[in-house]
Amino acid sequence: MSSLTARIVKEVNELRWHFDALNWVQLLSVLTVFTFFLILPVLTIVQSSFIYNGKISLYWFQHILQDPLYLPWKGVEGRFFDIIEYSTQQGKQVLIFVEGLDFGIILNSLFVASMTTIFSTLIGFVLAFIFARYKFFGDEILRIALLAPLLSTPFVGAIGIKKMITSEGVLNTLFVDLLRVMPFRIEVTGISAVILVQTLLFYPITFLNIYTSIINIDPSLEEQAENMGASGFYLFRTVTLPLSLPGIEAGALLVFILSIEDLGTPIVFRGSNADKLMPVYIFRNMFTPTGSIKGDATALSLILLLISATIFVVLRRYISLRRYAMLTKGGIWRPRRKKLRFSVSVFVYIICIFILLVALLPHIGVLLLAFAGEWPSGQLLPTYYTLRNFYKLFTEPGVLRSIINSVVYASVATVLIIVLGVSAAYLVSRVKVRGMELLDTLVTLPIAIPGIIIATGFFLVYLTTPLSPLIWGAPLLIMSYTVRKFPFTVRAVFAGLEQVDKSLEESAINIGASRTRVFFTITLPLIFINILAGGMLSFIYSMSEVSTGIVIGDANHNDAPMTWKMYDMLFKGFGGTFVAAAMGVMLMLLQFIMIVGSNLLLRKRAVALIGI
Amino acid sequence: MVSIKTMDLVKRFGNVVALDRVSLNIKHGEFFTLLGPSGCGKTTFLRSIAGFELVDEGRIFFDEDDVTYVPPHKRNTGMVFQNYALWPHMTVYDNIAYGLRVRKLPKDEIDRRVKWALKLVHMEGLENRTPHQLSGGQQQRVALARVLVIQPKVLLLDEPLSNLDAKLRIEMRAEIRRLQRELGITTIYVTHDQEEAMSISDKMAIMNRGKIMQVGDPIDIYFHPKNSFVADFIGQGTFIEGEVVDIDDFLEVELESGLGRVKAVPSRNDLDIDVGDKVLITIRPESFSLNPIDNSNRFHIHVYHVSFLGNVKRIQGSSNDKRFLVDADPMANINPDEDITVYAPYKLTLAIKI
Repeated sequence: MSSLTARIVKEVNELRWHFDALNWVQLLSVLTVFTFFLILPVLTIVQSSFIYNGKISLYWFQHILQDPLYLPWKGVEGRFFDIIEYSTQQGKQVLIFVEGLDFGIILNSLFVASMTTIFSTLIGFVLAFIFARYKFFGDEILRIALLAPLLSTPFVGAIGIKKMITSEGVLNTLFVDLLRVMPFRIEVTGISAVILVQTLLFYPITFLNIYTSIINIDPSLEEQAENMGASGFYLFRTVTLPLSLPGIEAGALLVFILSIEDLGTPIVFRGSNADKLMPVYIFRNMFTPTGSIKGDATALSLILLLISATIFVVLRRYISLRRYAMLTKGGIWRPRRKKLRFSVSVFVYIICIFILLVALLPHIGVLLLAFAGEWPSGQLLPTYYTLRNFYKLFTEPGVLRSIINSVVYASVATVLIIVLGVSAAYLVSRVKVRGMELLDTLVTLPIAIPGIIIATGFFLVYLTTPLSPLIWGAPLLIMSYTVRKFPFTVRAVFAGLEQVDKSLEESAINIGASRTRVFFTITLPLIFINILAGGMLSFIYSMSEVSTGIVIGDANHNDAPMTWKMYDMLFKGFGGTFVAAAMGVMLMLLQFIMIVGSNLLLRKRAVALIGI
Repeated sequence: MVSIKTMDLVKRFGNVVALDRVSLNIKHGEFFTLLGPSGCGKTTFLRSIAGFELVDEGRIFFDEDDVTYVPPHKRNTGMVFQNYALWPHMTVYDNIAYGLRVRKLPKDEIDRRVKWALKLVHMEGLENRTPHQLSGGQQQRVALARVLVIQPKVLLLDEPLSNLDAKLRIEMRAEIRRLQRELGITTIYVTHDQEEAMSISDKMAIMNRGKIMQVGDPIDIYFHPKNSFVADFIGQGTFIEGEVVDIDDFLEVELESGLGRVKAVPSRNDLDIDVGDKVLITIRPESFSLNPIDNSNRFHIHVYHVSFLGNVKRIQGSSNDKRFLVDADPMANINPDEDITVYAPYKLTLAIKI
């Protein structure tokens, strides 16, 4: 017994030695926020998925697993594409209508995420390899331009590209009606369109991750292999590829998660089989007529969560705060880059510029829409241009209010993220107690939890409390922004902390300063830049948040953020799309300023930082 | 100023035992050096004294006070880090004043003491510089001033000279010793450089794999190593294993590899050597003579390398595959491939029990 007592005394002493009052405050506040606004909502979803008529039951899962709506029990529906012939005044025309097969809600989501991941990884890898290994005229500008889709704000990409790829859209008008180089029209919609848009949205993430991991390969490793006689594809297969594999895998898994939880893209293709994707279906069907949450929606949420959590566990091998630090620290050596022969560089230009043009289609579409006065389908360009859509941002009832709402919510969330994020990063980086890895996992976890699940969970937990979104939208929206955008900001801070030599803090402690004092007088001033950059990122990420924004916005229009208003305007008919596009352009501009700003602040340290 | 006593300190990092029952007594005002190969645990010991590592077992006392669980900022030690750890966002003055401001001293008192510290390390007039405007040696002086100004109970120096070039290193070594004498402060110094350790210390401890191998003053350690690790680690020498076959005035040792018998003395009086014990015979290079002398062991060696070191000629040779290191007069005419006879006095032929 006495050895047990001694052990307890020792453990308590150790804990007291490692933790001072500030650390306790930091730890408890991070844990409180994550408990109430992440763990509790998720656990409630788990719990209510297993309850039917007040009893514990597998009813909802049996229901989902048997219903052909969710799984293709009645066979795969639809066709990959249809060829439709129809007559017009100009004569007979052919339309190839690409929608994609319908495998039922669950498999549809997996299919879309898999395809998006494969395509993004392929594009990302090709681009990363070209830019990491070759030098050619204009490479720096092209590389940055190819990252432009990172500026995409919710809906924007999808709105823009939808205008391009419908049967009467810009591309068909251009190539079929005006240039007459294509004998038939192509319309892409539904699941196929979602894959297309998401690939264009997400390839920069794989591109950045793979690029960073290739340029961080110590050149001497490849030189050693060459020295021993390896070259060409053999060298690539045996050294370069294995060493860049972590970057490839991390990028691909991240894209998979982002794709499967994406609500903003499929929601734009309303009326097609894109409605039969998990996040959209949950969003549209979560409420019973009496306003409570449907059991099949929570059960479907749980399935979605299990899928993304599984991917997260794998991803976790690569993505922890530490890994971010490692990625951003590297690059002290000069990467191996060869000059391209002219003939080859022409080929590279063609590839890059083609990708760039396709990638910029959504942006071009959105810009045109934002300035369009009128744009009938079948017209290549708007009939006239106007600033009216931007004027409406400040005059249309509800629009200005939603913008102000978003700014306020995002600002408060940013403050919270910074205070809590600095705390979490500091604890993980500096306090060496068993279990700190768990905190690292906890604050990275929001990457794995689809926004629609947080939204559903919030309703389940808080609908009957004073925090009910029906009474007041602000608290839950702010907390949702805080939790969901936490991982992306905390790593900017963590990377900064890892660059501050611990002896700078220890020398202050040594001459009598308490840890709290050291934190404020030494640590914070030294990572100020990282905090500022992280804050700018969290602000813009919060402004662009979709899932909880539109769910709560749908329930409480007065307190809705601008992402809900964009969604609302989009389907309002006359002129609504134009105003939504103008809001998108405004967000893009803000994003551009923030991302460029934070990159300027961090300089070279930022290589992998904007890659989500 | 305090004396420091550690009792059976144990510190593990995963499977690595960084401190393995380390017990040391460091007296008031003593300049105590920890010497050992990298990874031997010497820095961990220093950080445990400062309080940055919490030991898994054992106790640490400053005089009579148990400080084992006292947090680092309340221990009042002054630690100088290997990289100096000057705060880049503060001036020299603010760096030095930091510890005084923590102690909430009145402004004029802070000013007075910062000036005193600057003068102590000969850095007057540089108080408004920022650390990156200083040379390595100047940074070192500021780092010293920053801890001395708070009048710590003990000065802890973690390889403080390793980032300086060779000439400055010798200059700062003398400077550190001067400050230590002037202030009479108990000092623990960590280094892997044996010449540095020998030249600066009152007392030193040799560490290996977390264990203290020997504690003593530099002369004692050099001439009377307690075990084969210390004999090998400190200085150079010729090392041959053998077995004690007889004891009279000297130990009679039968060497391995058929090198015959030698007479030797125990490296230390406290080594309890008996007939039948295995011992390591250790002879320092300077103990050899090329000329026959009385009461000495004789070896015939084949010379394979001669290097001129300035003050001596160092001869590397072998006999029955055992390596010999012999220092000769710098003008001696010895060439590779010669066979020579060397003599080592019995009294300088040391036997260490293994």
